[in-house]
Amino acid sequence: MAERQLPAAFAGLESFIDWSLATERERTARRQTIGMAAIKAFYDAMVARLDEILKHLNDFPLDAAPDDVKRLFFMTLSLAEVAPAVENFGQPGVVDGYEYTRFVPVHD
Amino acid sequence: MATALRTSNEKKWHDQYPELGTGPIPIEPYVSRDYFEKERAQIFRKVWLNIGRVEQIPNPGDYFVKDLAVLQTSILIVRGKDGAIRAFHNMCAHRGNKLVADTGGTCKGLFTCKFHGWAYALDGSLSHIADEASFFNLNKADLGMTPIAVDTWEGFVFINADPHPVESLREYLGEIGTGFGGYPFGELGATLFFWQTEIKANWKVIKDAFQEVWHIPTLHHKTIPNVFSDTVNKYGHALNFTLYPRHGRISLGGNYDRKPTTVESFALRYGSGATVIKHASINPPKGINPTRDPRWATDGNAIFPNCLMYVSERSYLTHIFWPLAEDRTLWEARFYYPKAKTLAERFSQEYAKVILRDINMEDGSTLERTQTMLASGAKTEMVLQDQELLIRQHHKVAEEYISAGTMREGD
Repeated sequence: MAERQLPAAFAGLESFIDWSLATERERTARRQTIGMAAIKAFYDAMVARLDEILKHLNDFPLDAAPDDVKRLFFMTLSLAEVAPAVENFGQPGVVDGYEYTRFVPVHD
Repeated sequence: MATALRTSNEKKWHDQYPELGTGPIPIEPYVSRDYFEKERAQIFRKVWLNIGRVEQIPNPGDYFVKDLAVLQTSILIVRGKDGAIRAFHNMCAHRGNKLVADTGGTCKGLFTCKFHGWAYALDGSLSHIADEASFFNLNKADLGMTPIAVDTWEGFVFINADPHPVESLREYLGEIGTGFGGYPFGELGATLFFWQTEIKANWKVIKDAFQEVWHIPTLHHKTIPNVFSDTVNKYGHALNFTLYPRHGRISLGGNYDRKPTTVESFALRYGSGATVIKHASINPPKGINPTRDPRWATDGNAIFPNCLMYVSERSYLTHIFWPLAEDRTLWEARFYYPKAKTLAERFSQEYAKVILRDINMEDGSTLERTQTMLASGAKTEMVLQDQELLIRQHHKVAEEYISAGTMREGD
């Protein structure tokens, strides 16, 4: 079995570890290319545990979290990335929107 | 609960500013190369322009480079050993090479030209001439980098490309510049999200869209239809407009009864919030929430010519529009938040950032389509309503600059 990536309490989310992405560019690219079914599965799994996840993350300062907590944190950033796809657009991209690759983040 | 109660039966904001008129606006300024060149010469080369923040260069030797097509130059902004911020045309005095080719960093010693090795100190003076003996009668003191006027306001760095600016930055900002003392721009500069895009639209098409909000219930109906509007104030009419001689402000109420989405509701628990900024608990400086309305959400400050700054309780954002041509613009969007204390707070900021970015995506495609039709020539004018007061003001101020410049040329 693969080594544990996330805090033990959230082991049930290990199958979504590919959503643990450190930069906006990577998160946006995954949202825009992976398809709505995968987005919805990830969204549902995260929202079901979000209350506990955020309580856990709220115990850690920005710059000093262990790696397993950081991976879980990056998954919540991916959740923020896909939330509008599920909650506002019903599709991965902005409806009738600007080409996402043209709106270039200068930050990470 | 009602937010900002203004209806068509009430007095219009335009009544307070009769000098602006109420007639249609010409489309020519949005499509004409000739007009674009007038804007370049009579506006952008004459006025103070916001090009960054002091947080970009906190220490002596820190610098950044800003290439500005509208000024047809590259500008080097550097903090000197004495702590002062200076700006220069980024050019070697030997044969004109662009001195610094990267976009920013820290200069430990001298800025050295990669062509023949001439080197300049942080204060712009020429420090070293390679093979100096082979030149003729050089006076090093005359061969420093060419300075550009630079000053700061509330931590924003402004430059003025006019070799002899007709007024100081403070004079230029005037009354809008005196209202922000005590607002924590510096603290909120800790977390910056910054996007750039080259958009196929005149810079004013984009600016116009971000200085009125009554398009929100229509264009942004999937994202934030009722953030500034509700069943009483259907079109999100502003709490207040205040116009200064060049600059202006739109003050907006928030719909605090708006139901957040699932993920947004989690984000709201951990601080920075998202699209609705909760009730203003601060006692803001006088230039913010001018009506002291408890339903206040944010103020949009239009700093002529190309900067919009939306100030909220615990975050602010800027949109800066750099003209590239009459139909192309470098649009810079920056969102500023305080440093998140925990990872959960940082998640909250991420939600706010992503939804705001996606809202900008909704604008972007519309703006490019607008430009194609403005360029069709099918119509020569557009019409504006009362909530589009800042758009009308821009045209008035721009016309004043352009006609004043034309008169000077005719002298």
